[in-house]
Amino acid sequence: MLGSMHILDWLSIALVVAAGAAFVMGEVALARADDLQALYWLAVGIASLRAGVQVARPGAKA
Amino acid sequence: MRAGEHDTPLQHMSAIGAAAQASVPGLYAWGVTVVPCAWARGSPLGAKVLAVAALVFLAAGVAGERRFGHRARVGSLWGFVAASAATWVSAPMGVGPAHVDAARGLAGMLGWGLFAFASAAPVSKAPVEARAPGRASDDPAAVAAPPSRARATFGDWGYVGVGMLGAAAMQAVGWHVAAVERALFVRLVALAAGLTFVGAAVQVALARRLPRSPAPAKQRARRALGPLVALALLAAWGMASLTRC
Repeated sequence: MLGSMHILDWLSIALVVAAGAAFVMGEVALARADDLQALYWLAVGIASLRAGVQVARPGAKA
Repeated sequence: MRAGEHDTPLQHMSAIGAAAQASVPGLYAWGVTVVPCAWARGSPLGAKVLAVAALVFLAAGVAGERRFGHRARVGSLWGFVAASAATWVSAPMGVGPAHVDAARGLAGMLGWGLFAFASAAPVSKAPVEARAPGRASDDPAAVAAPPSRARATFGDWGYVGVGMLGAAAMQAVGWHVAAVERALFVRLVALAAGLTFVGAAVQVALARRLPRSPAPAKQRARRALGPLVALALLAAWGMASLTRC
């Protein structure tokens, strides 16, 4: 399974994991009442998640 | 496809039907918001009858979806919602401030939100895997052979497991916030982030089963260009903020 995965599949996984980490950082900042930093990390998480899902989808019609 | 032939958790979820998927959060929302109202002190008998009717509608959707399909699901949805609303209307004292605190209100809101999400966007059926190019089309063994059980199970469990672990990790943050309003806000954000993360993990897992086009890498990279550029700009802004501090 690992050998058949394209490099973009690994990039997709890395982006989704990074998005999870960014969401956690955003929540920590929100709990600390640092709203600007929380917004930043949540935006990073959303962009990373979106990029990860788009990279994972194969083909033009997918 | 009969029960027991589903190799992966995603296929199993898609096979049990949209009404069944929505029944779990629906049952939770019913238990948190309708039952305390119907069985509050002073509530009329009609409220209790309506509450039970709401539960019957929910169960009927699950039972009737296999036979009646979409009509059963829509009827169950509207019957459940209408009976729940009628319960609240017939027992207004049950939804007063004396019976609903902030925690229960938030729990009820989350339950109904999850029910709406599960009803509107159930897990879709996994697409049929495309035959690999070059495989002989007149070879019945190749055509009838199912996908590798070990690969499908491990891969799907891996993606879904990571998604659920990540979502669970997000719920562990922010339990020691002093201010009640901020604590509730952190919980809302954590729940939304967890749901989004699980949804993305499932999408990435399902994308592995879609048929591949002849030149997927360039198209995939091009499609992700917008979010990747946004990510790069955010990273640059973050680095600039760090160097300024």
